[in-house]
Amino acid sequence: MTSIEAIGSRSRISATAAVRAYLVVCGIVLLLMMLLGLTMRLAQAQWIDVEPNLFYVIMTMHGAGMVGIAGLGGAAVMWHFVRRYIPVSTGIFIANLVFFLIGAVLILGAGFIGGFAGAWTFLYPLPDHSGGLWSANGAAAYMAGLLVIGVGFLLLHLDIARGIISVYGGLGSGLGVKQAFGFAPEKDGPPPAVAASTMAAISNIIGIVVGAVVLVLSLVNLYVPSFTFNTLVAKNLIYYFGHTFINVTIYMAVIAVYEILPVYTHRAWKTNRAFYLAWVLSTLMVLTVYPHHLLMDFAMPTWILVAGQIISWLSGLPVLLVTAFGTLTNVYRSGLKWDAAAGLVFIGVAGWAIGVIPAIADGTIPVNSVMHNTQWVPGHFHTYLLLGMMAMMLGFMTYLAGPKSPSRLAPLGVWLYLIGGTIFVLAFLAAGSASVPRRYAVHLPAWLPYDRAGSIGASLVVAGALILIVRFLVSLRSPIDATP
Amino acid sequence: MTRGLVLVVWGILWLVRTPLESDMALHMTVQLPLLIGIGYMLATFLRPHEPRWFARADWFGIPGLLLVVFATSFWMLPRMLDLALSDPWIDLIKFASLPLLAGLPLGLSWSRMPGLGRAFLWANFIPKLAAIGGLYLAAPTRLCAYYRLDQQTTAGAALIAVAVALGLSWSAVLFIGSPPFWSKGGENAVERMRGAASGGP
Repeated sequence: MTSIEAIGSRSRISATAAVRAYLVVCGIVLLLMMLLGLTMRLAQAQWIDVEPNLFYVIMTMHGAGMVGIAGLGGAAVMWHFVRRYIPVSTGIFIANLVFFLIGAVLILGAGFIGGFAGAWTFLYPLPDHSGGLWSANGAAAYMAGLLVIGVGFLLLHLDIARGIISVYGGLGSGLGVKQAFGFAPEKDGPPPAVAASTMAAISNIIGIVVGAVVLVLSLVNLYVPSFTFNTLVAKNLIYYFGHTFINVTIYMAVIAVYEILPVYTHRAWKTNRAFYLAWVLSTLMVLTVYPHHLLMDFAMPTWILVAGQIISWLSGLPVLLVTAFGTLTNVYRSGLKWDAAAGLVFIGVAGWAIGVIPAIADGTIPVNSVMHNTQWVPGHFHTYLLLGMMAMMLGFMTYLAGPKSPSRLAPLGVWLYLIGGTIFVLAFLAAGSASVPRRYAVHLPAWLPYDRAGSIGASLVVAGALILIVRFLVSLRSPIDATP
Repeated sequence: MTRGLVLVVWGILWLVRTPLESDMALHMTVQLPLLIGIGYMLATFLRPHEPRWFARADWFGIPGLLLVVFATSFWMLPRMLDLALSDPWIDLIKFASLPLLAGLPLGLSWSRMPGLGRAFLWANFIPKLAAIGGLYLAAPTRLCAYYRLDQQTTAGAALIAVAVALGLSWSAVLFIGSPPFWSKGGENAVERMRGAASGGP
């Protein structure tokens, strides 16, 4: 046992068991949230009847739940691999899961008992203007739930930052800044998992504390409505937190690509100056790209919107390019024997790369002014979250389940997920290009073909995910040591 | 000598309390932190004489730092700022309690708290300072009877500025290198972990 493993194994619960616990929660919540999503699409397709008030509750819970589970799944991937290189605390990792579950109960209670339906972005001052649909307590439970979840993630990222600093001396060294700018040899640079975890820690620590500020101010406003604050500042703070958090889930999950593909190809993931420079640039841009959510806010200073557009075009590209290129060179003529895990992480890179294209289109001000409130937007973010981030997370789950788990159905699960996911996101994008608005509970007859195609795609995705998740749950019967 | 200097600064602060308390921003961002700083300096003199049972009772520094949180929160209440202005005896209590119940326990307990706990406190303190600044900026009415609305706005902006400065400084320190308060024997840890990592999985 290395000293790193010794430090990480002080907790009574083993690290692998803790990762398994994360993935069990991720798998179950992911399925439930997918069913909520399917319910919305079926309702829009007019194949089932859902009251509009309930639709918006479901939409809020689906959004918050999916963002949360993406964060939790990304954290599981990141923590599992980064602990090979730095000392981390299993206790803190478990504490994050406990905070998450407490927060999830508060959020679900806020929605399904309190009726909170203000969307996962809780845009100020909407929580205080419910039109009688929810109480102040309902909105407060939702925001308290987010705060509790934020505490857990803050602890987790601080612990990882502590581990990185204890080994590499500073977060800059953990990110590979010296290698990026030629001040140190490439061979001495941090492993990809450490560089990605450093980026995630920097971005999420800042994003979470900014989110905490606006949540506290919104909570005060709920109970003292005479206290108001600048709505545009509030929107900036909310999207700074919200965009950063959801964006970082991809950068945490991509560690699965760096660590799992080389196991199959028997080729180490090569890092070089371009790789480190890409991570440095993406860190800076993830922290500054959020104004593309405010392109329709005419009161925003023009220079911020222009910067938001330009950074939006560039933000994901550096890491995406080095990762996509690295994936292709790692796989090319490697003799890789494809299975469900390798296939899913490969699909994840492709989904991420493809999803960036409609995102760049929406990040352009003239396009954004006509597309932002259409289904184009759920189209682009479902592409890189469903077919990108979640595919990587499911790939990790399948990889951990190991070859001993029932594997005959796994390829079927992957194909259902891929085909269903493609139909699902294309239905959104096509509807968006036809100006079908997003966040509408009731749709016009002309929009129904898109909704029905989307519903069929969503059903296939749920079936595929169900197969992969059940396969993982079945694998839990095997001893922990048997897992990779 | 240095101990005497701390006491002299304490006395000077009492003498210049009127100009410092005449402005809400100066009161909150200069006088209160200086009083806490006096207590923090006192801790460096008292630490060698600290009874062992006291250090053991201050488990991971949690009781001491909780005392700091309560004492500082108490003196951040607008009503308490008002009382300190209107009654010299209350002001005297402030001059005694902030060094002894906030600065002193901060100096004694901070080093006992694990690095993760200290980082968590920083990460909470900085945004909460900004949030309080935001509350002062946005409050529709005067929160203190003795300060004008424009002074309250200036205080809010000053608190946000302090939060931003602290946040940038903390980020820079973490990004560039391991500060002494983050981990004891940091360099040894680097060598140990690098050695383990190179021979590890």
